Amino acid sequence: MYRSLSNIVSGRNTRQGQWGLPLLVALLISLWLSVQTTQFATAENLFNLVAQAMPLVIAAVGQLVVVVVGGLDLSVGSVISFTTAVLALDQPAIVLIPAVFVLAAFIGLINGLAITRFNVHPIIATLSTQYIVLGITRILRPVSGGTVPEIVIAAVSGSFLGIPYPVFWGIVVMLLAWKLLYGSRYGLHLFAIGGGIASGAESAARNFGVSDRRNIILAYVVCSCFAAVAGVFLAGRIVSGDPNVGLLFELDTVTAVALGGTQLSGGIGSLHGTVIGALVMALLANGMNLANVSPFVQTAIKGGILLAVVGLQSRKKMGL
Amino acid sequence: MTAVLANPIARRLLRIPPSYFVFLVLLATLWVARPNMLNLNIMGIFIRQIVPLGILVLGQLVVMRVKSIDLSGGGIILLINYFISSGSFPGASLPFFVVLALATGLVIGLFNGFMIGIRRVSAVIVTLAVSIILVGLVQFLSSGNPPGDVPRLFNDLYNTKFLSVPTPVLFWIMLTAAVWLLLSQTVFGRYVASVGENAEAAHFSGVPVQRTVILAHTLAGLIAAIAALVQTGSIAVGSVRVGLDLPILAVAATILGGVAFGRGDGGVWGPFFGSLCFALLFVVMTVLGIDEPGKLIAQGVIILGAAIFYGVRVRTS
Repeated sequence: MYRSLSNIVSGRNTRQGQWGLPLLVALLISLWLSVQTTQFATAENLFNLVAQAMPLVIAAVGQLVVVVVGGLDLSVGSVISFTTAVLALDQPAIVLIPAVFVLAAFIGLINGLAITRFNVHPIIATLSTQYIVLGITRILRPVSGGTVPEIVIAAVSGSFLGIPYPVFWGIVVMLLAWKLLYGSRYGLHLFAIGGGIASGAESAARNFGVSDRRNIILAYVVCSCFAAVAGVFLAGRIVSGDPNVGLLFELDTVTAVALGGTQLSGGIGSLHGTVIGALVMALLANGMNLANVSPFVQTAIKGGILLAVVGLQSRKKMGL
Repeated sequence: MTAVLANPIARRLLRIPPSYFVFLVLLATLWVARPNMLNLNIMGIFIRQIVPLGILVLGQLVVMRVKSIDLSGGGIILLINYFISSGSFPGASLPFFVVLALATGLVIGLFNGFMIGIRRVSAVIVTLAVSIILVGLVQFLSSGNPPGDVPRLFNDLYNTKFLSVPTPVLFWIMLTAAVWLLLSQTVFGRYVASVGENAEAAHFSGVPVQRTVILAHTLAGLIAAIAALVQTGSIAVGSVRVGLDLPILAVAATILGGVAFGRGDGGVWGPFFGSLCFALLFVVMTVLGIDEPGKLIAQGVIILGAAIFYGVRVRTS
């Protein structure tokens, strides 16, 4: 509240991380795009952009929750693919939609249990579930196809008072995440545990009576459920199940989180930073598409951004 | 559960790398399902295919011992494969390609080491990002199509045999022995062990922690380059997809071999058998008629199982 603008841009360390710079980048890209192209600054393109960015925004918010407790979830992409595959199983929506979230929560539970109870490194645990979930997805749906329940399609393609539904998805997800991270005891505990892990005092939160295990398990469950929401949204957009739709999402979410100034070592992170980070990625993709940049080069540029962003984050820990 | 784990026999069993158990189980499965597969010639062919993975594992285990990880192997393999198959260096000789490959691996490994050791960036992110950049670059340069052919000499060398053992397998064993000597007999090996055990304590005992981490990653880059040469010899054509899943499998084989981020009781032979497990696993799966999705699931279950096995072992000791 009391920080000056220069502090926000230079990013004096707070619990929110350094999110001023990405905001500046987002504004600059938008400005450049609206000057350079006539298509960009139209309401239609902007709403389209929001709809394109939404899966990444939703999944990145989930990723943020585990990053805050010093973790990383590499199974996000396969959970998204899995969700679209399940939704296209030709069953009534009343069965499928709850099933998707129960299954996603179960995947998160396995991740959390392996990490907290069995001492498995988060990267290894989520990498294994990534493989397992991807395998199951390919059994359910070897190639893309099937039909998604009408209600899912209607929920992403309509509009209310001239504002398309995807905008409302974004608002609801952000309100939920805001309440979870900054408006609840649980969120406070997450930051406390993450801060302890980042400074090498892993038992710090436990010493004050915060059950770290249960909270960390819940963080992975929350992350998977957000990924499932992103999957439901994507399924509504592509109108079918696709075993490869979530490919590379785990990296894009990590990039978005890191772009938003969140420290990957835990304890520091901001929701608005993450959302800005995801929007920057969407803007870049939009701009590069308008400029006809080869998709392969786009992939390389994304990798370069990730490298540059985390390369500029200083941290104490060496290694993973 | 804890009572069982505290039992001295159980504790001794938990110290053995899981790869030995998995190897025996897979061997037994194969023996029951297809006994006629178990002869030296057939197994030689299957094991030969796993040699690039086996070599990559050697680099992986060195960096995992200093509590780091290297996922850039896929990009390195793809880039070197592109160098050799694209015809960008017409009429170049084998030694030229070997030197070029090693230099590529060295530079990328050094970059990884610098970012992780000095800039202290998360190793997963750095090496993954490097891999993505290289893959994107190669796919752009070759417009997504396989570039071209590999000089015949590569495949001819790959197909040679020495006393009925395929040369690549022999090369792999020699390289493994070399890394074993490096880790168990040299000062660098001691540094690696102490940095992995406790980087802070190592620093205060006068171990050059940063230099050890950088050297470990440089070595991993070099070893990935060697794996790339063998892989290129094995497929004998240019490709834009080859070896992309190898780094993950290498991490899996290393964990299976009892080495996990820091402490490594299994040395190099545990991961060696870890790689062999994947060779056998693919044979068994093919014999049992399990397709690609089943293999993915099995890989995931094996990685998770080995990691849990290791986690339980750390808890009890």
